[in-house]
Amino acid sequence: MTCEEFERVLPELGSGHSNELEEHLKSCLACSDLVGDLNAISQQARLLQASEEPSPWVWKSIEASLQQEGLIRQPQQERARTLVPLLGWKLRWLVPLAAAFLVVFGVLMHERRGVQPELAKRGTPPVGVVTADLMPSEDQQLLNTVAARMPSMRDAYEANLRSVNAYIRDAEQSANSNPNDEVAQQYLMNAYEQKAMVYEMALDRSLP
Amino acid sequence: MTDAKKQQGDRLSEATLIERAKLGDAEAFESLYNLHKRRVYSLCLRMTANTAAAEDLTQEAFLQLFRKIGTFRGESAFSTWLHRMAVNVVLMQLRKKGLSVVPLEDTMESEDEAPRKEPGADDPRLAGSIDRMQLQKSIEALPPGYRMIFLLHDVEGYEHNEIAEMVGCSIGNSKSQLHKARMKLREFLKTSRAEKATKP
Repeated sequence: MTCEEFERVLPELGSGHSNELEEHLKSCLACSDLVGDLNAISQQARLLQASEEPSPWVWKSIEASLQQEGLIRQPQQERARTLVPLLGWKLRWLVPLAAAFLVVFGVLMHERRGVQPELAKRGTPPVGVVTADLMPSEDQQLLNTVAARMPSMRDAYEANLRSVNAYIRDAEQSANSNPNDEVAQQYLMNAYEQKAMVYEMALDRSLP
Repeated sequence: MTDAKKQQGDRLSEATLIERAKLGDAEAFESLYNLHKRRVYSLCLRMTANTAAAEDLTQEAFLQLFRKIGTFRGESAFSTWLHRMAVNVVLMQLRKKGLSVVPLEDTMESEDEAPRKEPGADDPRLAGSIDRMQLQKSIEALPPGYRMIFLLHDVEGYEHNEIAEMVGCSIGNSKSQLHKARMKLREFLKTSRAEKATKP
């Protein structure tokens, strides 16, 4: 066997060699060195396997995308915090509108049952605006309703409303600072939902 | 526990994770990601030589995988399926950049392409003297087609039949590409060593 013939079959060689190939390797230093070099390269390359790791943000980005696309289902205890499906960032303008709808829905339910028509006349709260002032007027009206029906619960509901209003302020600030951040949008949506839940509970419990 | 039993246990665990991921289990997704992130990232990093690009490609490969996980039926190993996506993502990126990614089947043996062997040259063997950093640099210098096959076989440990399935070439072509990649690397390493030897 010549060196050229040996090199032609070299790509096909596995771990075992035929007798003819073994004989050529024994007699030809150049081909023996070549095989040795190629094996050394292969062995050294194996040491390079998976020695690096991506930064943590890679998983965070993947997770955010999977949530946005609805491929991840929240665990049971987290589902209670998300009453409506998450919206993609392209639909973020619906966030304050959806929250206003939830609040108005609660108010309309209250009116339908013939309690305190003043609330219905007031209309919706300013969209997406929760100031640092003491209670928005709608919240005050709700507290007045609760005080009229369940005096002992008024303070608890006031504390809940203050807490959720602070949550909304923080979430709005974060969403306004990072308009393209889906996580910030999600937090804002959660904040509005929390407030809607407080209204819903207050109105349900205050009904005769 | 024997290695075979451990491997079987790992496969069952992975199969459980896959089924849970199909149902939208967030922890299952994260576990699958953690199981395979290093190999995918290493492949992307060695193909792009850029950490930011490698992380983007890693993210894209996993997103494609997770979006399609409902269609995975277990005909091939999950890691092979994942790496096929990573390979596709990398190749698409290289083509977008206008880099020449020669279709593997078209890379025929030719006198001009194959590294030249100097007959009768007195060349010391590489065995025992391969510098890891120099090897990494030499791998980066390989043409993308050779580099991909070399990384998948010699670095990641895939067999030629798996590589052929991943990159869409024949087994014979995979072997041929690997051989050429190793020959090129040998040439680079010997040149580098000679240059170092001549420096004062």
